[in-house]
Amino acid sequence: MVDLANKAWSPYLAGGLIGLLQIPAFLLLGTALGTSSSYVSVAASLAAFADPGLRGLRYAAAHIEGAKAWWQVALVAGIAVGALISATLSGMRRHGIAPVWHRAARLGAAGRFGMAFAGGFVMLLGARIADGCTSGHGLSGLAQLAIGSMIAVAAMFAGGIATAMLFRPVR
Amino acid sequence: MTVLTAVLLGLAMGIVFGFLLEKSRVFEPGVILGQFQLRNFLMLRVFLSGVAMGLVVLSALTGFGLAQLAPKATLPLADALGGLLLGAGIALAGACPGTVMAQIGAGYRDAWFTLLGGLLGALAFTYAEPSLAPWIAAAGQGKLTLDAVLGVPFWPLGLAVAALLFLVLLGMERWRPWRAELGEAADGLPPETPSAPPAAPPATRPMPAE
Repeated sequence: MVDLANKAWSPYLAGGLIGLLQIPAFLLLGTALGTSSSYVSVAASLAAFADPGLRGLRYAAAHIEGAKAWWQVALVAGIAVGALISATLSGMRRHGIAPVWHRAARLGAAGRFGMAFAGGFVMLLGARIADGCTSGHGLSGLAQLAIGSMIAVAAMFAGGIATAMLFRPVR
Repeated sequence: MTVLTAVLLGLAMGIVFGFLLEKSRVFEPGVILGQFQLRNFLMLRVFLSGVAMGLVVLSALTGFGLAQLAPKATLPLADALGGLLLGAGIALAGACPGTVMAQIGAGYRDAWFTLLGGLLGALAFTYAEPSLAPWIAAAGQGKLTLDAVLGVPFWPLGLAVAALLFLVLLGMERWRPWRAELGEAADGLPPETPSAPPAAPPATRPMPAE
C-alpha cells in the first residue's frame, strides 16, 4: 500500500502524513501549514517591478519580506515537484485537461482555460478576504480549533456545493 | 532562521506535501468537483485525516510545551464571505490554492491558468485591502478558539475531537470503502454510462437466398 510506485495510497494514510507536516512547521518556523499567502508574496513581488509604489502598501510589504513568506512560496513550489515525482514513479503523468470538465460542463480547451482562470481569481480573492484557504483555515485552523476557521470551512463547502450544483451531474 | 534555510525547508516540506496530494488523488479535478457534487468523498477523507493528525500533533506539542498555537483571528463576516467565494472558486477551478500546484506537477495544462488567475486575484486583493480592511475587521473577535470558549485546556479537547474524527472516518469507510471512489483512471470519475439506453440489437433476419 505504501509502494512509491502505486498510483493511489489510502486517503487516510496520505491525509495523516500531511497532518504530520505540522510538526516541522510549528517546531522550526512557529507557524502552521498554509499556501494562499504565497500568492500575495509572488504577485506583489512581480507587480512591484511595474509599480514600485506597491511596496508602500502595508499588506504587500508584509508579504514580500521575511523568512516565513518565502518559506511558504518554496512550500507551494515544492508541491509541484513532489506531485511530478509521485506521478512519474507511478506512471500517472497527466496531459491536457481532465475528462471531468467535458463530462460536467461539456467544455473544450479554450472554455476550460477561461473557467480555470476565473476560478483561480475568485478562489484567491476569497482566500485573502477570509485570510486562509483549504490549508490555512482547513487543515491548520481546524487542527487548532479556531472558531474563525470553522466558519470559513463551513462557508467554503457551502459556496463550493452551491457552485458545483450548476454543473451537470457526473454519473 | 535565514531566508535561504527557510526556503530549503519549505521546498523539502512542499515536495512531501505534493507527493502525498498526488498519491491520495485529492489533487484530481474530478475528485475536488466530485466532493462538491456530493458524489465522491475522497477529499473529505484526506482532509479530515489531516485535521485529525494535526490535532494529535498539536495536542502533543502544546501539551509538552514544545510549541505555541498560532490560530487566525476570528473575523465572522470576512470568514463567511471570503469562504463562500473561496468555495465557489475551488469548484470552478477544480483545485484549491495548494492542489493547483500538484495539478501543474502532474501535468494538467489548465492548472497554469488557475495559477495565473490566482496570482491576479491575490494582487487585486492587495490593491483593494486598504479600502476593505475596516469591513474585514468588522465584528472581529480576536484569536477565538473552541478550547478557550469552553474554558478547557487545548490538549484533551484536541485529542477528543481527533477521536471523534477517527470514528467519523471509520463510519465513512464502512459506508463506502475509499477504493470504490477511485475510478478506473484514479481520477474519481465513475465509468461513463451512455445517455440513452442502448438500442436493442437488430432483429436477426433470415439472409435472402442468393
